[in-house]
Amino acid sequence: MLSLTHVTKVFGSVIGVNDVTVELGNGAHGLLGPNGAGKTTLLGLITGQLRPTMGQIRVFGERPFANPRVLRRIGFCPAADLLERRATPREWVRYLVRLSGFGPRAAADRADRELDRVGLGEAMDRPLSTLSKGMRQRAKLAGAMAHDPDLLVLDEPFDGLDPVARHDLVGLVRRWAVAADTAAGEPRTLIVASHLLHEVESLHAGLAVILGGRLVASGTAGEIRDMVETMPTEIRIRCDTPRRLAEAVCGTAGAESMRFEADDLLVVATRQPRALAERITRAAVEERLAIGEVVAADQSLEGIFGRLVRLHRGVAS
Amino acid sequence: MSDPHSRQADRSWRSTDISSTLAVTGFQLRRMLSRQRLLLAGLGVIFPGAVMLAVRRTVPAGLDRDLAVTMIYALVPEAVCMLGLLVTMCPAVADELERGTWIHVSVRPGGRRALLVGTYLAAVIWTSTVAILAAALAVFVAGVRQPWPLIGMLMVLVALSSLGRGALFALPAVILPRRALVASVGVALVVEYLAGFIPAVVNQATVSLRLRSLLVSWMNWRRQLPVEMQLLIDPQPAWVQITAVFTLAAVLLVAAVKILEYRQFPPSTEI
Repeated sequence: MLSLTHVTKVFGSVIGVNDVTVELGNGAHGLLGPNGAGKTTLLGLITGQLRPTMGQIRVFGERPFANPRVLRRIGFCPAADLLERRATPREWVRYLVRLSGFGPRAAADRADRELDRVGLGEAMDRPLSTLSKGMRQRAKLAGAMAHDPDLLVLDEPFDGLDPVARHDLVGLVRRWAVAADTAAGEPRTLIVASHLLHEVESLHAGLAVILGGRLVASGTAGEIRDMVETMPTEIRIRCDTPRRLAEAVCGTAGAESMRFEADDLLVVATRQPRALAERITRAAVEERLAIGEVVAADQSLEGIFGRLVRLHRGVAS
Repeated sequence: MSDPHSRQADRSWRSTDISSTLAVTGFQLRRMLSRQRLLLAGLGVIFPGAVMLAVRRTVPAGLDRDLAVTMIYALVPEAVCMLGLLVTMCPAVADELERGTWIHVSVRPGGRRALLVGTYLAAVIWTSTVAILAAALAVFVAGVRQPWPLIGMLMVLVALSSLGRGALFALPAVILPRRALVASVGVALVVEYLAGFIPAVVNQATVSLRLRSLLVSWMNWRRQLPVEMQLLIDPQPAWVQITAVFTLAAVLLVAAVKILEYRQFPPSTEI
């Protein structure tokens, strides 16, 4: 459905995407990475807005750049806020649907149906400037989905939304992805780019982690978790005498590196966190150390993402 | 070689190009109905008439018809059309980038082409409407004899000016969207008012030569012109001049569309 082979995109002296190779099939996919990681550039390449400097992109088996056959099957909701002020959501979505090749009547029907679906039915005739950011986000989403694309690409779709709006839109996109999976005929594909893991995790999507323009991990949440488990876990110990604790722990099985982050904070990297925890407990009793707090690395996807980022930056050992 | 399905798809999408273009034209015209733009349009309509009124008051015996026509020509098909197109055509791409709408439009099949051609049509309609009203008002204020044939001639000149110069300004709009206004003023000065007045092959590709030649031809001024002034007009018949403007507009517009279709804007270009 979508394949990138050694794709690199350079803007002058800035590398936007660096040698990315990935294949995405039908279903939901999450593209994760911190701000500035290259997600928007990658989406620009996928949606035919940008041409790769090197490498090859195929979407539905064709190059997407300036290719109307591919573009008509793509729905894209960009991250940037919609600053079109005077138009109403109804006018805006009708306009976009007409640009997708539908006649005025069909565009009107589709726009009204989609705006109802995203919960803007009652506000569709108010100027966009009078709507909240969440409502504008819904209008953008309606514009991306109203022409029934086979590939829906959403860039930070939940950014800046209040929790209620975020919950609603996550549900909406999840329903689209599920409906796409089960629809008769050709299944469809959803790509959601976000820097917030819990949003993507809630879509039950496959994950691709991008950092510094490079794809650093891909797979299901479980696969990424397994991969990260082979990396050292950091345990942070708050203690009144961290140097004595370090002496006691030093040399124990699994303690791979240590550093002091504050006068009362020792951070130990290990592949055997359970054994290390036992050693800390024993040392606390034997050496009469006052341990205030022992915190293992976050095993949630958020924590794993943070560790991947640190690993990529060469911070974690 | 593409398969039959692809060719079929190509044809069907080409047939919707007109619909998409008209959608953009309608959308842009609605945008142009803002208070600011309407105020500008009002000024554009009144300004030539105000100038003609001021001139007429200085000549109690009444304005010479040829002088009045020359002034109205300079004020309307030249000045008002230029200014109108600078306001409406130059920001064709820059406006979309600033509003965050470019990406929504450019990801549609044929969206870039429809955006440029649709905006061009909207700019031509808006500018022509303002300029025709301005020309009619100026003609009546000047008190010219037989005003209706004159207004008819000015309408044609306004339409040709808008079509030709709109296409000319499409190029800076797509090549330098952030500097389109400055670039267009430069293009107008260098191409239309410098190259256009050079009596050589280079002025054949300017709208100003065609409009001047039509004006001279339709006003029957050719025989009255001094020899050196005749170098600044083209003696070909009117249909040649009109065809030349349409050809020039088509070539410039196709070039601008092709450039825009392959333009890449880095993500940071947008808001």
